[in-house]
Order: sequence, then C-alpha cells, then structure tokens
Amino acid sequence: MASEHLASVMVEAFMAAVDAGLDVVPVVSDSTSTAKIGPFMQRFPERVINVGIAEQSLVSVAAGLALGGKIAATCNAAPFLISRANEQIKVDVCYNQANVKMFGLNAGTSYGPLASTHHSLDDISVMRGFGNVQIFAPADAIECRQIVDYALRYQGPVYIRLDGKALPDVHGAQYRFVPGQVDVLRQGADLSIVALGSVVHEAVDAAARLAEQGIEAQVINLSSIRPLQRDVLLNVLSGTRGVISVEEHNINGGVGSLVAEVLAEAGLGVPLIRLGIGDGEYAAAGAREPTRALHCIDAAGIVAAATRLR
Amino acid sequence: MNAFQYDALQIKEQARLIRRNIIRLNADSPAGGHTGADLSETDILATLYFRILNAGPERTEDPERDIYIQSKGHGVGGLYCCLAQAGYIPEQWLGTYQHFNSHLPGHPVRQKTPGIELNTGALGHGLPVAVGLALAAKMSGSPKRIYVLTGDGELAEGSNWEAAMAAAKYGLDNLFVIVDKNKLQLAGLTAEIMPLDPLDVKWAAFGFSVSECDGNDVAQLIDSLERMQTRHGAPQVLIAHTIKGKGVSFIEARPEWHHRVPKGDEINAALEELSHGE
Repeated sequence: MASEHLASVMVEAFMAAVDAGLDVVPVVSDSTSTAKIGPFMQRFPERVINVGIAEQSLVSVAAGLALGGKIAATCNAAPFLISRANEQIKVDVCYNQANVKMFGLNAGTSYGPLASTHHSLDDISVMRGFGNVQIFAPADAIECRQIVDYALRYQGPVYIRLDGKALPDVHGAQYRFVPGQVDVLRQGADLSIVALGSVVHEAVDAAARLAEQGIEAQVINLSSIRPLQRDVLLNVLSGTRGVISVEEHNINGGVGSLVAEVLAEAGLGVPLIRLGIGDGEYAAAGAREPTRALHCIDAAGIVAAATRLR
Repeated sequence: MNAFQYDALQIKEQARLIRRNIIRLNADSPAGGHTGADLSETDILATLYFRILNAGPERTEDPERDIYIQSKGHGVGGLYCCLAQAGYIPEQWLGTYQHFNSHLPGHPVRQKTPGIELNTGALGHGLPVAVGLALAAKMSGSPKRIYVLTGDGELAEGSNWEAAMAAAKYGLDNLFVIVDKNKLQLAGLTAEIMPLDPLDVKWAAFGFSVSECDGNDVAQLIDSLERMQTRHGAPQVLIAHTIKGKGVSFIEARPEWHHRVPKGDEINAALEELSHGE
C-alpha cells in the first residue's frame, strides 16, 4: 500500500468529520502548507481560522472556539506549538478542559537540516506534565486516521504527534486502534523494543536483523502514551530479559522514561536501554538517515544496543 | 435580556454593597488578597451584571448567554462579591475566599464557582480566548456577546496584541474589551514600569473602535457600554479610567494595596466609609 503523509491523513479525517456533522474548526498560524490543509480550505473556506504567525493566539483562540462549542484543531509545527504556546496549552486548553485537538506537525527531527529551532524533542515530556491531555503518536497512515477519528469524537484536550514524512504501513487494513492499548507488532521471547511514531519502523527493521542472528525481539508500538494500560505494558515487558526504548525525542521524559517508570514501580529488575537524543544534547542538523545513525536511534543502533543487553 | 435591568442609581447601590463585601472578604482571607484591584473594577462589574450582560443566575448554562471573562484574574475577589450580590453564589461563601479547597480560590476556576466562565490568573489569556469565543458565536450565527476585563499592567503581555490583530481581522463586533485602567500594578506605577500611553491610539491602530470613560462612574459606564453595542464591523474597547482601591480613602491609589488586606481597625474604618449611599 502506498504510504501517505500523515498531515494529509489528518486533513482527510477532518473533511470526513465535517461531512458526518462534526463542527470541526481547524486553526492555523500561517501553517496552511505545513498542515497540507488546502483541500479542506477549498471545500470549507469559512471553517479555517488563520491567526498569522502567532502561536499563543493560535492556541488561545482554539480554546475559545472550543469553549464556544466548536471542535477546535490546532495545526502547526510541533516545536512552535509546544514551546511558544506552552502556557496557553497549560492554562487555556488543559486547565480549562477545553475540547481542543493539538496536532504537533513535523515532530521529532522531521525538519532535519533546519536545525534545533525546528526540532521537537521535548513535546512528549512537556505534554506528560499536563495532567489531563491525551497523547498519541501514530506509526503509519492507517493508525493515524483512526487516532484522528477517535480524537475528534473524544471530549477534552488531545495532543497528537505527527511525523513529517510519509511512513510505510506497519499495520494491516484490519488494524483497530484502541486508546490505552499496547500494540505488539511482532512477537519475540528474548527482548523487547518499545518505540513510537516514525522510529517504530527502525524497531521493526532491527527486529528482523536480530532474528537473522537468532535473537527474537518483540516490537511494541506505544502509540498511546496517555491513556496507557500500564499493567498490560508491564505484563508484556516482564516476559523478556531486556528492554530497549527508542524515540526521536530527548531520552528525558519521553517513552524511555515512561517505560522506566513502569518497570521500576513494579520492582521489575529488567535491564533497560533508552535510545533517543541523549541527556544534554540537541539533535544534529541534517538528513534523517545520518542523524538517526549519529544518535543511534536507527535499526543499526537498536541492534547494537541489543548486543549490549546480552 | 439582563436579569435585573437596573438604572444607574440602583447599580450604584449594588456597587456600594459589593464594596462592603470586598472589605469583609479580603479581611477574612487567610492568604492576603488583591483589595485594590477588587475595588477599582467594582463599578464596571456591577454595571455589567445588573444591566448590560444578557445573562442571569438562572441561565449559567444557557448557550446563548453573554459571556464575561475576568482576564485580570487576581481581581476575582471583586467578581465573587458581585456574583454573590447578583445571586450566582451564596453570600456565605464569601467568608471562604482562599480557604483550603473552598469554592472561592485566589484566581477564577470555572469548575469550582458557578458563574465563572474561564480559568485565569496568568495574565494575557482572557482576550485571546475571548477572541475564540466571539469567533465561535459568529460562525454559529449566535447573537451572544463576549465581554472581557483586562488590567492595564496586563497589557504589557504580547499575547493581547496577537489576539487584537485576530479580532480586527475577523471583524468581531461581538467582542467588548474593557480596560480597568487603574494606573497601578504590583510594583508601582504602570507609567513607570511599562508605559502604555497613548493607549487609545494603540487600540485604534490595531483596528478597534475605542471609547473612554470614567470607570468608577456608573452613568458613564452605562452610556459607553450601550453605545458600543450599536456599533458594527469592528471589535470594541472601552478604556475605563479608574482609581485603584476606589471607595476607601486610605486604600485609593496606593501601590501597597495591590496585594494587601484590611486588618484590625482598618476593617471598620473602611466599612464606615462605605456605610451610606448617595
């Protein structure tokens, strides 16, 4: 199946939702091309609010729209959403329990050579700090569409982290996303690889390479960060002798931290290696492949980490 | 339609009773209070709640009600006293202001207090959210109006001016900003800390229709706010010139009363000054 850009999947879900009678109002901050929202604007020109390059206004206006009865959806680049509008997310959306869906577009190091102002390596840790926002990161178009469909019908704040590249499918057409789920993509008795978003594909690749070496790794797509069935995750992780977490995010506060919490709180002495952008580091500015290789979050980096777990 | 529709004389009397409760509420607070801000905004709140707002205590869930947003969240003590006076909350609650886990926290919390429309406290949030509310009303064809009260010191927050541009772009003539221009903020004179003037020119340059009045004069407030409702095509702002601490001689225009509450003999002295109507 041909891969599809996740922002386009988002926009298709918006159009289908409006057709189904949902009062969806996308809000952009000059980010119409980032959001690939042209087709929606053509069909529903009065429905898109563009506040200009003003992320604080983006989020606050969305909160007001939501409190006024709309399903507001902010669509802009994740780094500017998270950092510039941090207090607006905290106060206007989360604290007020406003029905806003926040899309963090081109997250992680999607912007590559545009360097660190454009990288979003802290969004999961920031959002996890706000108590009541649901947090998702789809790994492919099939999952993305189902997450967006769910979010638009859920009442309350949601953050959805979207990668900026077209991702190949890891799920079949029969896949059904369930909030809170622990999505085991591949079974394996030796070790566990936990990933989310675009690096799920690196994890799948690494597991195949490890199998060639006789190591069976299970791959867990943790697309639902909040809610999360922690007991299910614990149960899944407790069966293998080691865990590797991998994320295009700082290792502090993201998926690796979440896995560490689950393991430690259960008193489970399973070794954990957290792969991500290291403590105190920024990501390199460059194309995705060498950037991932440098930070050891590609398939080769995961395989190398697996060797250390032996 | 407003639940009261009072005239200027009746509103002035409500404002006097609200001010008396502001003195008691702050005196009973275990954690200080913003007495000066509560008193500067009193006449504005009384005019809104007893005449201007298409709202009432029986209609807090009515989707067509006018919305009032207190952007200067620290002045919530004055709002609580107004809400009690208008019957939104029981008057006994006023003795619990800032008490542990009470219905009346030190900043507005809509999940805690009937009549509160938006959680504020961090400054520069009320106007931007009000723009979204006004847009939602326009898009839905609702006649409801959105009123937002900001401080003057608060206008140093850049988020207000981002929102002002959006309000003008979308021609939000259902949005009414009232600036409680009491000329003082936490650490002193607004004119010294971050000069705002010429404030009328700033709002006009951002596309607002600008009105000004004495914000402690109920007749002027009624006149200005009702005139603003007849204008169309642009968002409205009323620069309400007020005196911080208005109504109590030893609190008026004194920076130290930004975050201070009446104590001991001050309580009765203040209540005495507020004991008679005109």
